[in-house]
Amino acid sequence: MKLTPELRSRLASEYVLGTLRGPARRRFEAMLHDDRALRESVAAWEAHLTPLAERLPAIEPSKRVWQRIEARISPRAALVDTSLLERLSFWKRLGVGASAVSAALLVALFAGNAARQKIDAPLIAAADTPPMIAAVLEEEGEPRMMIDQHRAGILMVRMIKPWQPMPGVSKQLWLVMKDGTMASLGLIDDNADTRIVNAALDAKLADGSMFAISKEPLGGSPTGQPTGMVFCKGMIAKVPKNAVTDVKPARAVI
Amino acid sequence: MADLELNDKLAKLLSRAGLGDKQAFAELYESTKSKLFAVTLRIVRERHLAEEVLQDSFVNIWNHAADYATAKAAPMTWMTAIVRNRSLDLLRRPRLETQDEDDFFTLNLEDDSLSPQDLLSQSRDKAKVEHCMKDLDGEQLQTISLAFFQGLSHSEVADHLGKPLGTVKTHIRRGLQKLKGCLEA
Repeated sequence: MKLTPELRSRLASEYVLGTLRGPARRRFEAMLHDDRALRESVAAWEAHLTPLAERLPAIEPSKRVWQRIEARISPRAALVDTSLLERLSFWKRLGVGASAVSAALLVALFAGNAARQKIDAPLIAAADTPPMIAAVLEEEGEPRMMIDQHRAGILMVRMIKPWQPMPGVSKQLWLVMKDGTMASLGLIDDNADTRIVNAALDAKLADGSMFAISKEPLGGSPTGQPTGMVFCKGMIAKVPKNAVTDVKPARAVI
Repeated sequence: MADLELNDKLAKLLSRAGLGDKQAFAELYESTKSKLFAVTLRIVRERHLAEEVLQDSFVNIWNHAADYATAKAAPMTWMTAIVRNRSLDLLRRPRLETQDEDDFFTLNLEDDSLSPQDLLSQSRDKAKVEHCMKDLDGEQLQTISLAFFQGLSHSEVADHLGKPLGTVKTHIRRGLQKLKGCLEA
């Protein structure tokens, strides 16, 4: 049985009203991805109903909300490491297979990190310098994104192949530890590099853990665990400092 | 009109935030935080949850500010929808949620051959919506308001009013139909 126009209209209105809940709400959101007419119907109901919420008397939130937002947002434009991107496109031009590309990417990353570490060295105390880690996240054997450690407590999530726009979808980064437990590292950007700042991060990053990016409702997983499909994933490889040439990069999993 | 001026200002701030302008984003936050906080607090009811929603929503707004240009919605509507959706996602009432699940959602959703249709006009006229809301009968207005402003589910509205679930669903469905008819007129 297919959804009648009446049912579609009713679902859109109850989605915006908020009475469509739980699994039904998430299934409806999944439908929205591929259904422009339905998205337009939702947008029309939002244009009608949502402004009513502006009638509510304003209430001041605490100052710490902005402090936390500020800590979570990343400066965008300054983050692109062009030399690294050039190296990447060089490897891609070679036309080698995906796993070879991944291995090559890791080597490139380590080299890049080593260079950065040298530049950063006077700025940070030696004890603050974490072992370098990196991972290439693959989707069906194709490198999609890569992650490298920028400094203690900071990860850079870099774009290799940009995503198609997916309205209503957030992409959430997870650290999958060896015992299978997962920790959210926050949402990543669709078409720009994202900087993840998390002071507790370094202790959790270990050889053999994995990064994964999952599909989540706008704003991220409501449960604290991944709820949607995994877009891409990759093993974390750790390298000792000053050992770039000896590195045998771990092959990213497919 | 004040609304238009505000929306004009917010649209500019959003587009600058989309280019990575943190200053503009800070101003956007300052201009909208207390209205948006009221929206989520009414739904999630606890301050710390509402703060979490506001925080997540603004990180989301920052990440997607560049997409706003294609959204075709007034900026305040666009942001309020993000806050409302995040609030509703955060409400975890599994027992009530399963009760609320409608039969039609177990149908095969993939078989969908309907042609695009414009179900509603794109009117953003708040006065018109408010006028149409006044046209609803008392019970329709009451159930729709409880659901919309307080974020109550069908079952919660039913509990709140001491009415059968089916009756509440009917009030909401008919109310929305009537609202749609009025808005399209």
